[in-house]
Amino acid sequence: MTESSPPGDGVTIEVRGLRKQYRSVTAVDDLSFTVEPGMVTGFVGPNGAGKSTTMRIILGLDAADGGTALIGGRPYRTLPRPLRTVGALLDAAAVHPGRSARNHLLWLARSNAIPRRRVEEVLDLAGLASVAKRTVGGFSLGMRQRLGIAAALLGDPAVVIFDEPINGLDLEGIQWIRGLLRSLAADGRAVLISSHLMSELQDTADHLLVIGRGRLLADTSVRALVATASGDRVTVRTTMRAEAMTVLSDVGATVAVTDGETVTVTGLPAERVIELLTRNGVTFTGVAAHRASLEEAYMELTRDAVEFGAATTREGRDAR
Amino acid sequence: MTTGRPGFGRLLLSEWTKLRTVRRWTIALLAAPVLTVLVGVQFAVSTEPGSPDSMLAGPDGTWVQDRFHFVHRPLTGDGTVTTQVASTTLDIRVPERDGGEARARDVERPGWTKAGLMLKDGLRPGAPYAAVMVTAGHGVRLQSNFTTDIGGPATGAPTWLRLTRAGSTVSAWQSADGAAWTPVGTVTVPGLPQTVEVGPFVTSPDAVLLQRQFGSLFSMPYQTYTTAVFERTALVSGEPGSGEPPNGWQDHEVNDLAGAQDPPPGTGTGGKQRPSGSPPAEWAGDRLTLTGTGDVAPHTPREDLVKQSLTGVYVGLIAVVAVAVLFVTAEYRRGMLRTTYTATPGRGRVLAAKAMVIGAVAFVIGLVASVVTLLLTGPILREHGFLPPVYPDWSLGDATVLRAVVGSAAVLAAVAVFGLALGAVLRRAAGAVATVIVLIILPQLLASGLPASAGRWLMRLTPGAGFTIQQTRPHYEQITQTCLPEDGCVYDQPWAGFAVVCAYALVTTAVAMWLLRRRDV
Amino acid sequence: MSTVDAIRAEWTKLRTVVSTPWLVLTAVAAIVGIGAAVTAARDTRGCPTPSTCFEDLPKLSVTGAQYGQIAVVVLAVLILSDEYGTRSITASLAAVPRRWMLYLSKIAVLTAVVAVAGSIGVLASLFVARRILPGNGFNTVNGYRELSLGDEPTLRAVYGTVLYLALVALLSYGVTAVLRDTAGSIATMLVLLYAAPILTRVIDDPVWLRRIDRMSPMSAGLKIQATTALESLSIGPWQGLGVLALWAAGALLAGLLALHLRDA
Repeated sequence: MTESSPPGDGVTIEVRGLRKQYRSVTAVDDLSFTVEPGMVTGFVGPNGAGKSTTMRIILGLDAADGGTALIGGRPYRTLPRPLRTVGALLDAAAVHPGRSARNHLLWLARSNAIPRRRVEEVLDLAGLASVAKRTVGGFSLGMRQRLGIAAALLGDPAVVIFDEPINGLDLEGIQWIRGLLRSLAADGRAVLISSHLMSELQDTADHLLVIGRGRLLADTSVRALVATASGDRVTVRTTMRAEAMTVLSDVGATVAVTDGETVTVTGLPAERVIELLTRNGVTFTGVAAHRASLEEAYMELTRDAVEFGAATTREGRDAR
Repeated sequence: MTTGRPGFGRLLLSEWTKLRTVRRWTIALLAAPVLTVLVGVQFAVSTEPGSPDSMLAGPDGTWVQDRFHFVHRPLTGDGTVTTQVASTTLDIRVPERDGGEARARDVERPGWTKAGLMLKDGLRPGAPYAAVMVTAGHGVRLQSNFTTDIGGPATGAPTWLRLTRAGSTVSAWQSADGAAWTPVGTVTVPGLPQTVEVGPFVTSPDAVLLQRQFGSLFSMPYQTYTTAVFERTALVSGEPGSGEPPNGWQDHEVNDLAGAQDPPPGTGTGGKQRPSGSPPAEWAGDRLTLTGTGDVAPHTPREDLVKQSLTGVYVGLIAVVAVAVLFVTAEYRRGMLRTTYTATPGRGRVLAAKAMVIGAVAFVIGLVASVVTLLLTGPILREHGFLPPVYPDWSLGDATVLRAVVGSAAVLAAVAVFGLALGAVLRRAAGAVATVIVLIILPQLLASGLPASAGRWLMRLTPGAGFTIQQTRPHYEQITQTCLPEDGCVYDQPWAGFAVVCAYALVTTAVAMWLLRRRDV
Repeated sequence: MSTVDAIRAEWTKLRTVVSTPWLVLTAVAAIVGIGAAVTAARDTRGCPTPSTCFEDLPKLSVTGAQYGQIAVVVLAVLILSDEYGTRSITASLAAVPRRWMLYLSKIAVLTAVVAVAGSIGVLASLFVARRILPGNGFNTVNGYRELSLGDEPTLRAVYGTVLYLALVALLSYGVTAVLRDTAGSIATMLVLLYAAPILTRVIDDPVWLRRIDRMSPMSAGLKIQATTALESLSIGPWQGLGVLALWAAGALLAGLLALHLRDA
C-alpha cells in the first residue's frame, strides 16, 4: 500500500469465515463477504444481528475468534496510516465532551500525519465550520454524527465504513449524507454502511449484505433481492378450490388454503396461474399478484433472525 | 407521600437495585470490609506490647502509678488531719545532652504536681487512699483510689488543707486562714481498715519535652521534683497522745517502681531515666520540708488497641468512597440521569434516596467490617501479651467498644454520603474521589509535618476527625496525656469529631440539592 | 515515523482537555506550597541544640512531592480512563491500531508532562527552602550547609523525586489500563500508595515495619529523597526507587497485556 491510497485504486474489504463469541452468545458466525469499490454496500440486519461487531473486527477493535477481515489484502492493524485507507464512524457519541470539534479532528490528523488544512476542509464538508471551536459536549446527536463523518473522511480514505450514519440526523442531514455516500462511491471508494432499517438503504445502497444472528442471509444486489422476493405470491378466489389446487400442484407450485374460497400460490407468476386455470376449466372470481417490497423481502429473510422484539415483529407481519 | 408521584419507598428500592446490579461496584463494596479486616489483622500480628516500668493495679483493677513522698503516722478509727501548705517549688532538670538549660523553658511544666494530705491503707503501692492536695495548675483537688478526682477552690499555695475520716467516708476542706473552711468534697473509700496511715505527701509527675531530631518528634519525659513546705501539721484523733512533730511521724517514699527491673537497653521508654530517690524529709520545728517525685494517678497505655485495630477502616473507606461517587457521577456520564429524572422528577428526592441507600450500605459494611476485625484482633492481641492491668480486657459489649464499632460504621456512612454529594456537585468522578480521599487521608500524614497546633486544627476540621469516635482509651482529667494529633489525638470527646464529618456530609448534600434544582440536567 | 505521529496526536489530545492544565498546576502548587509550609514549620528550636537536629534538609524541602503526587495520579489515570469513559478509545485505536504504539505514545507524553511539572515543582521547592531554612536556624552558624544542587546527595534527592513522580504516574497508568475505570483506578492507586504509611503508624513490630516500608511503592520510592542517615533506612535510596520501578513495570506490563488481550 502506498502512503496515501487515492480513491479508485480498488481497495476492497474482504471478510472470510469470521466468528466472534461473547460468552454464550455467538455474535458473528462464519461470516464471509466482500465489499467492492465503487459502490455503496448496505449492511443490514435487525438489532443485535452482529453488524457493529463485524465492523469492530474489521477495524481491529475486537479480536475475531476465527476467520479474517482484510482491507486491501491486509489486516487493519498492520496498516501504516490507517486513517488514510479506512475512514470509519462507529459511535458518534464516543468523543471526549471536553474537547472542541477542531481539536478532536486535529489529534486524529496528527496521529496519521494528515496535514492540518485537511481538518478545515472536512469541517467545511460536514457543515461544522461555524461550531468548530465549541466543545463536543454541547453538540446535538446530529452534530456529533456530522463530526464523526468529518473524522472518517479526514484521511481521504479509499474505504469508508459507517455504522448507522443516519441515526439522529434531520431530513436535511439525511439528504446530505445520501448524496455524500453516492459521491464517495462514485469516486471509486468502497463504502460500507449499516442500518437496521432496510428503508434507509433502499435508495442509497447498490449492494446488500443481509445479516441475522451473526449469519449472512443474503449477499445480493438490491434489484436481485427485490426480484427474488416479489411476484411469487398469487391469491386466487375460486369456488372450485380442490380442482385449482390439483392443477397448480401438478406443475410444481406450492398451494396453500387461505380460507374457504381463497388459495395462495407461490412459485408461479400470475399470468401462468391464469393460463393454467383457464386451460383446465377451473373458474375463478379473482386473481391477485402480490409484489413484495424490499422491506418485505428483508422481513422474509430475517424472520428467524430477529433477536429482539421477535413477537411484535411477527404480529406486525401477520397483520399485513 | 403525595399522590401522583412514585412513593419514596419505591424510589429507594430502585436506587438500591441500581447499586447492587453493577458488578464492579459490588466487588468494590465487598473489597472494603476485606481490606479493613486485613489491615486490622496485619496490625494485630505485627504489634507487641511495650514493657512498662510497672504493672501496678489500683483497687478497681485499673493500671496505676503510685509514687510519692509520705510523712505519716497511723490513725485508728475516725479523725482529722490539718496542715498548711506554705509553698511549693518545682525543679526540672534537662540533661546537657538534651539541650540543658537552654531547653528547660521549652519543657511543658506538669500541672498536676501534688502537695497535700493523704490517708492511705498502709504503704503498699496501689492500696486504697484518699487525699486532698494543692496542684500547680488545677487548684485544690480531692482524689481517691486513683480514678476519682473532685475539683475544689482554684487556689494554690499557701493554703490550709484538712482531711477528715468518718468510717469509710473521707471529707476534705480548704481554708485560706485556717479558720473559715470551705468543703472540697466527700468521697467513699470502700474497705478502709480501722487503722490507716495519714500525713503530708508530695509528688511530682514527669515533665514532657518535645524533641525534634532526625526529622521526627520525640516526647521526652523528665523526672521533676516538687518541694513543699508544710506548717503546723496536726492530727486530731480519738486516741490520745498525738505527738508533736517530728515525734511519731515517719518518713517513707511509696514507690511502685522500687522493685521493678531496669528495662533492657533499647526498648520502651526512650530517654526516660531511672527515677532516683528524693531527699529525706526535714523538720524545723513544726515546719516540714518535703520533696517528692512520681505521681498518684491512673496510667493509660500508649496504644488504643480498639482504635488501632480499626485502622483498616481508613483503607476500606477508599473503596466505599469510589462507589459512592460513581453512584451519582455514572448517571451524569451516561446521560442516565435524564432517564432517572424522567422517571422521578423530584431531583432532591432522587439524591436523598441515593444518599440513604449508599449511607445504609456503607453503614452495614462498616459494622460488619468492624465487628469481624475486632473479633479477630482481640484474641491475637491477647496472645501477644496485651493483658490487664495495662490493657484491660474488652468485649464488643462494652459501651466504649460498641461506640467505636457503631461509630466506625456511622463515619463510613457519613463519608459515603459526603462522597455522593460531592460527586453530584462536581459531576466528575476523578475530582470527587480525589478530593474526598485527600481530605480524609492527607491530614493524617501532613499533621506531623506542621506545627502541633496547625496540625491539630487541620485534623479537627477535616472529615477524618470523625474517627475520634473510635477512641476507647479512658480520658482522665487528672493526668496530662502527651499525644500528638498524628497519633489520633484530635478531640478529647469522641463525638466531637463525628459531628465534624456529619457536618461535611450535610452541608455538601444541601449544596448538591440546591445545585440540582438550579442546573440543567 | 508513525510513532512520532502517535506521540504528537497524544500530546494534542492531552493539551486540548481542560483538566490537564489544572492538574499540572495543582501538582506544582501542591509540591511547592505544601513543601514550603512544612519547611517553614521546621526550625532548630525544637532540637536539643541548634546544631543537633540531624534534619535531612534536602528531603524536607521536597516533602511536597508526596502530596502533589495525587494530582499526578489523577492525570495519569485520566489520560486513559477518560478514553474508556467516553468510549473515544475506539477512535484512538482506529487511528493507531497498533496497541503497543498507542500505549507507548501515551506513556511518552505522560512521562514528559510529569517530568516537566515535577521538575518545576521540585526545583521551586528547593529554591523556596533555600530562602526559608536559614531563617529557621538551619544556617552556617549552626553548621548547616546551604541547599545546593552542587551537592551530590541533594542533586540525587531532587531529580530522584522527579523520577519518583514519573514512576508513580506510570504505575497509575498501568493500573488504569487494567481497570479502565476512573474512580476505581484512582481509589486503587491511593490504597496502594497510602495504605502503608497509615499501617506503619499503628504497628510497632520493627520486623514488620521494615518489611512494609521496603515493599510499599510510596515508602520505598520516597527513600530516594533521603540524604542523611542512609544506613538506618530500611532500603537504600536507589533500591527503594527500584522497588517502585518494579511496581510500575509490573503494572505497565499487565496493562499492555490487558490492552492487547481484551477487546477495546
